[in-house]
Parts: sequence; structure tokens; C-alpha cells
Amino acid sequence: MQDKIKGIVGELGWPLLFLTMMGYLAWYLPHLIIAFGGADANGAIVHDYRSANIGDYLVVLVLAVALVMGVRTATTSAIEDDIDGFFDRVSVFFGRVTALLISILVFVMLFEVVLRYIFEKPTLWANELSLWMAGFIFLLAGLYAMQQRSHIRIFLLYDLFPRPLQKLADTVSVVLIWAFTVAMIWGAYNEAKAKLLRWETFGTAFDPPIPATLKSMVLIVITLVAIQALSNLIADWSKAPQHHSPVDEDEIAELKHELEEQLHLNKDDEAKV
Amino acid sequence: MFDIGTISLVLLVAMLVLLAIGMPLGFASAFLGVGVLFMKFGPDFLFGNFGQGPLNILSQRIYGLLTDYVLISIPLFIFMANLLERSGIAGEMYNSLNVWLNRTRGGIAIVTSIMAVIMAAMSGIIGGEVVLLGLIALPQMLRLGYNQNLAIGTICASGSLGTMIPPSIVLIMYGLITETSIKALFTASFLPGLMLASFFIIYIIVVTNLDPSKAPLPEKKEGEPEGLKKAGLFGTFLAIIVAGFSGILLLRVLFFTVTGQNVAVEGVEPISLGSPDYILKFGIVFAVAMAVLFLVAGKQATATAWDMGKGLVAPIVVIGVVLGSIYGGITGITEAAGMGVIAVFFIAALLHRPFPEWLELLKARGVPIAIVLAVVLGLAFGVDKITGFGFAESSVFLGFIVLFGATLRVGSMSELVMDSLKRTLKSTGKIIWVTIGATALAGAYTIAGGPTYIANTIVGADLPTMGIILVMMVIFLFLGAFMDWVGIVLLVMPVFLPIVLKLPVEELGFIGELNPRHVAVWFGVVFCMNMQVSFLSPPFGPAAFYLKSVAPPHITLTDIFKGFLPFIGIQLLALSVLLVWPNMISIFL
Repeated sequence: MQDKIKGIVGELGWPLLFLTMMGYLAWYLPHLIIAFGGADANGAIVHDYRSANIGDYLVVLVLAVALVMGVRTATTSAIEDDIDGFFDRVSVFFGRVTALLISILVFVMLFEVVLRYIFEKPTLWANELSLWMAGFIFLLAGLYAMQQRSHIRIFLLYDLFPRPLQKLADTVSVVLIWAFTVAMIWGAYNEAKAKLLRWETFGTAFDPPIPATLKSMVLIVITLVAIQALSNLIADWSKAPQHHSPVDEDEIAELKHELEEQLHLNKDDEAKV
Repeated sequence: MFDIGTISLVLLVAMLVLLAIGMPLGFASAFLGVGVLFMKFGPDFLFGNFGQGPLNILSQRIYGLLTDYVLISIPLFIFMANLLERSGIAGEMYNSLNVWLNRTRGGIAIVTSIMAVIMAAMSGIIGGEVVLLGLIALPQMLRLGYNQNLAIGTICASGSLGTMIPPSIVLIMYGLITETSIKALFTASFLPGLMLASFFIIYIIVVTNLDPSKAPLPEKKEGEPEGLKKAGLFGTFLAIIVAGFSGILLLRVLFFTVTGQNVAVEGVEPISLGSPDYILKFGIVFAVAMAVLFLVAGKQATATAWDMGKGLVAPIVVIGVVLGSIYGGITGITEAAGMGVIAVFFIAALLHRPFPEWLELLKARGVPIAIVLAVVLGLAFGVDKITGFGFAESSVFLGFIVLFGATLRVGSMSELVMDSLKRTLKSTGKIIWVTIGATALAGAYTIAGGPTYIANTIVGADLPTMGIILVMMVIFLFLGAFMDWVGIVLLVMPVFLPIVLKLPVEELGFIGELNPRHVAVWFGVVFCMNMQVSFLSPPFGPAAFYLKSVAPPHITLTDIFKGFLPFIGIQLLALSVLLVWPNMISIFL
């Protein structure tokens, strides 16, 4: 029991610290924008926010430490693909952060439902906070899925290719993913930058900076995914051709194992009775 | 630069090539989105100035998708299904169902189908369900000497119902992409889903009664209730359920009345089943059910009935929470999914011990629990005073943290949750990024005028209406054999639905006339039915691979697909009913 708790703290400790600091920055990033001279001198954010102080820099420092330590200590469990590419640890670390975000999302939703329907005190912030967090979850889940090689592909012909041709096909895929990434940044860079520096908010009572943060996150995460795709290409380059099944066989093996244990336990119970 | 006809042709060919070389579907679509804009606007306009230009459309579309509130229900439903599969609910449910039906010809096959329907009403995805049924029911059927094809077909065909019976993430996706009401889609798919399930059950009953050797009956157990007595016990069990539900609803109405939440206000829709006049209605139902239990059945029979049926209680509660929230108009789809996660989470923890043990534990730890409660309330009071967060808010917040912490410490709950989260993340990334890519492509293609061009070409060709629909069905079935449903709904639907909406509505189907406003809903349900076939159709029907991984080694993939044949026939029959009689979906709408 103690070991189990230790294992989970070890797995989630750094991500949780990172997420906490990130939560602070997601709300008070304008402090740093002003400190680094990114803000328009006549813009609204200069009125609404102060410049960064020692506390803000400390948050950034802790964030950096949590990121570095979290990435260095990231490990995978039996149900996941191993770490073998140069970027895998980063993606797995962000995978843990995203898993935490999903649990917080469920918690926020329950909180809102209980308050709204039992105490008749709906919050102003829960729905928009969910929406904001979900945007990050959707984006970062794709990074994790890329590291886990679980994006939907069609292997009908691919599995028939000889290995060199498969390598060529993979290279083409990665090049095209990069082409898309460049095109995305080409088209959206100015808008994302402007919204971030202006700290554009959602325009509601709670007023979360969803446009400011999410517009830039789209570009950042797509770039990370492209790097992960390159990392996968390099890591898989000299691997033997793999067999692909339309279903995730590891996952089913694990589920089967768990259920057999469960059913077995039930039978023991019956025997006792 | 190019005209839309050329663009469409290049797009189609390029998509086929990219998919053939195994490029991830989402990224292939996203790249082709860029390609379409390139062909439409040319390099100078597109890449003239860094940081802006028509390419911004892609990011606009993706941002719009990411901030869609309904989309949040997808990771939540996946999370819920992942918890559900490992919660032990399924095993208990199977035992309970089996007790009632074990003396019926083909009993286990029928139990399998019923169980699949109940699970389908809890979860919106497929996969885990086939694995669960394959592990629980297949060994039993093979041991009793059931016909192997019948056993396999029943498990996989029923196990695929997850996306046909609400909640269904296929329908959520369809609703998002086509901007159709998801609640209407859920309501509309209910009857077709149950129709398909009952076709399966009728088929099982007919086949096993024509040839009893296909489903031998198990040995009789000593002292087991039989025939009428069993029916009586089942009635008693139903009375327990009715008493439980009406009791809860009664308490709910009383709570609303006491707190004055349900005072009728002009122009505001009353809380469903919550206005004061329901006190009498639920009171009567509750009283009658209790009278049946105490006066007609008696204590002994009530206890026996409860013992035989208790495995069904957890699923009924989960269904009540999820579907009740949606249909009762209490919450939206997204909150319903969130509450489903919570319900399954707590039930999974509760299933770790038998119920009496929990009561004993609660008694034994009464004092510490009271202390914790007092500390929570005290802290909440302090938090409210210092931060002004509100007393109710603070105590709910702190109380939930304590409750979740305690629940995570039960047995293997923390591992269960962590593993489920990882799986959820994988599946979410998979589905959402195909959606992201397809959204980018659809945005670019719409700017280029694609959907209108195709709709006009097809409609202008003066083909018979049902002919066009039939061709679409063939395309769905063909694509479904090779491609995931999510790819089809995202890439093909934006092209097909505008065509369907332009077809003369009075020519759709042969019996009855569809309400013009329901055409999009009808097509969504039709699509869902097509995807039912795709889960079974060779060479890549995923259900076969799920079952193969848990079946005894002597059962080959060919055997499995052979077992599917009659069930694919049944699915096609249900699909034709839906095509001939489109109005079927309007019955509950």
C-alpha cells in the first residue's frame, strides 16, 4: 500500500508541481509580458496588471525545475509504449500533466453540478474553466498519442511493403507533417502573438484568457507533435517490420489479465460462501 | 488557381495515396487542407507575408473546434467506459442475469445480448465490451456445448451495440460535425438500436428452438426456484427497483419543495419530475411497491429476489445517472458524461467489498468519520471567512477532496484510475486529432466551394433519390470495412449530408413521410447502423480482433468471421427497415 502510494506520487509529483505553477502563469502571465516589454504601453493590460516581481520569477524558476526534473524522471508503465526516442520523455511527461488535467476537469464538473442543483449556487467559472482546460487536454492528448504510436493509420497496404519502402513512406509522412506545421505557423503566427501580448480574454464574467493562451498553444503543441513524429521516425528507423492489428493487443492482454483476476476472485468468494 | 473540380479530384487521389502509405489519418487530412488552399490561392497569395494570409483559416477552424463545449464529453465518455470495463460491474451483472434465464433455451446467448444492451446504455464506445463478453460468456457457452458460430456471433454483434444505443460517441461526433442536436440524435437512435438488439434475440430464440442441439440447457441445480416461482421472484425484484427509484425521486421532490426550488415561475421551464404535484404521484407508486413487497411477497421472498438481482442495481444506477441526466433535461451531455465518470468511480470502489462489510466498517469507524466531517466543516468555515469563497462552496470542495482521497485508497482504485486515465488519453488523442485534421481540411475545402459543387453535381444529375441513398450506403459499408468510423464521419459526412439535405424529402423511404427537420437526424442514425456492420465486416472488423484475443486458440479469425455472417445479415435487415421506414426515428422525437 505504501509502495503503491509512493509509486503514484513519484509518477505524478513533478507533473502536479508543474501544473500548479502553470496554473498561476496561465492567470498572471501579463506580469511577465509587461516586465519583458511585450505589452503595448497604451494597452489595457498595463492598466490591469502590475509588472513581474520576485514572486513571479520564483514561479518561473520552480516551473523550469519541475519541467526538467519531470522530464528526466518520466517513465512508462506496462500498458504503454516504451521510451526510446529522444523526445519521448517530454511527451510522456506532458501525458502525465494531461492525465491530471482530466481528473481536475471531472472534479470541477462535479463541483459545479452539486452546487448548481443541490445548493442552487451555480458558479460563474466552472463551465469556462472546463472549456479552457479541455482545450489543453485535446491538444496535449495528441502529443501523447503520437509518442504511443496510437494515431489512426491504415496498415492495409503499408504492412505489405518491404521494409525500405516502409521507411520511405514514414519519411514522406514526417516531411508532410512538418510541411503542415510550417504552414500553420505561417498563417497564424501574427494572430496568436497579438492575442497573447494583448492578453485577449473570453469576454465573460469569469473572463478566462482562452484566446490568448489557446491560440498560441495550438501552434506550440503542433510543433511539439512534429518533433515527436521526427523522434519516432529516428527511433523506429532500424527496427524490424512490425505487425499491426486493427486493435491494441497490449491493451487487451492487460484487460484480459485484470478481468481474469477479478473473475477468479469472484469464484473464490462463491467457494467461501 | 485551379477550378474546384480539379481540386476535388486531386484531393481524392492524394488522400488515397497518403492513406495507403500509412500516414496518420488526422495529419494526412491536415496536410491536404494546406494542399487545397495552395491549389485554390496559389503560392504567392498563400505565402506572400509571414504570419498571416488565408492559411489562418486552418488555425481558426481548429480553435473553434477546441472551444466546443460538447466535445468535452468525448474524453469523459471514454474515461467512463475505461473505468466501467475494469470495475467488476460486468461480472456481477452477468451472474444476476444468468440466474433469471438459465432454464430458457439459448439462455446464455440471450443473457449476453441483454447484458450488451445494458452495457451499451452505459458506455458509448465499443471494444472493451466485446472483450468483456468474450471473457465472461464465451467460456460458459462453449462449456455447455453451444454452437460455436452462434456463440461468437452473439458476443460480437451484441458487443458492438455500444455505439448504436445512446450514449454513443459516433452520434456525438456526427452531431458536432453536422451541427445536429445530439439529444435529438440520442432520442432518435433509441428505437432503431433496440430494434436491432431485439432482432438478435429473436434470431437466437428461433434458431435454438428449431435446433435445440445448438444450445443445450445446463444441469438443474438442487433447490433452485423454477417456472412461475421464478417469475414471481422477478416481479418482486422489479418491485424493489420501482420502490427504490420512486423513493429517491420522492425525496428529490420533497427536497425541492422544502427548499422552495420548484415554485412555478412563469416562463421558466419547471424542473422535470420535480414540481410539487409529483409528491403525490411518487408517493403512491412508492406505497404500492412497498405494499407489494411486504404484503404480497413477504420478507423471505424479498430477500431472495434481492440476492438474485442485486448485480443489476449498479448498471441501473449508472444508466439512471447518465441517460436520466440527458433525457430528464437536468444537465447537458457533457455534465452527464462527467457524472457518469463519478458514478462508475464510486461503484467500482463499493464493489471491492460486499455491502454488509461496508456497513460494519462504517459503524466501526464512526468516530473518526465524524471527526473528519467536523474538521472539514470547520476548515470550510475558516476558508469562507478568510477568502469569501462561500461556506457551501468551501465545504463541498473540501468534502469532495476528502471523499476522493478516501475512495482512491480502497483496494486497487488508484491503479485503476491511473491506468484508465492513460488509456483515455490515448484514445482521446487518437479521436480528437483526426477531428482536428479533418476540421482543417473541411474548412479549406468549404472555402474552395467543394461541398456545394459536389452536392450540385449529384443532385443535378437527376438520379432517383433512393438510388443516391443506396449508393451512399454502399460507400459507407465499403469504407467501413477498411477505415475507422471517426475517419468516415469526419471526411465523408461533410460531403454527403448536404446532398441528402438537398434531396426531395418526400422521396426518402417508402412508408410514411419524414419531417423535413428530421432528415439530418435520420441520416445520422442510418450512418450509425452502417457502422454497426463495419465493426463486424471482414477483413478488418475490429470486433473479430477483440474476440480473437480472448477466445481459445483453436478458434481462428476465419471461424470468427464465419460466425458473423447471419448477424451481418440481421444488421443489414435493420438498416433496410430504417431506409424503408425513415419515420421510425420520429416516434420519440
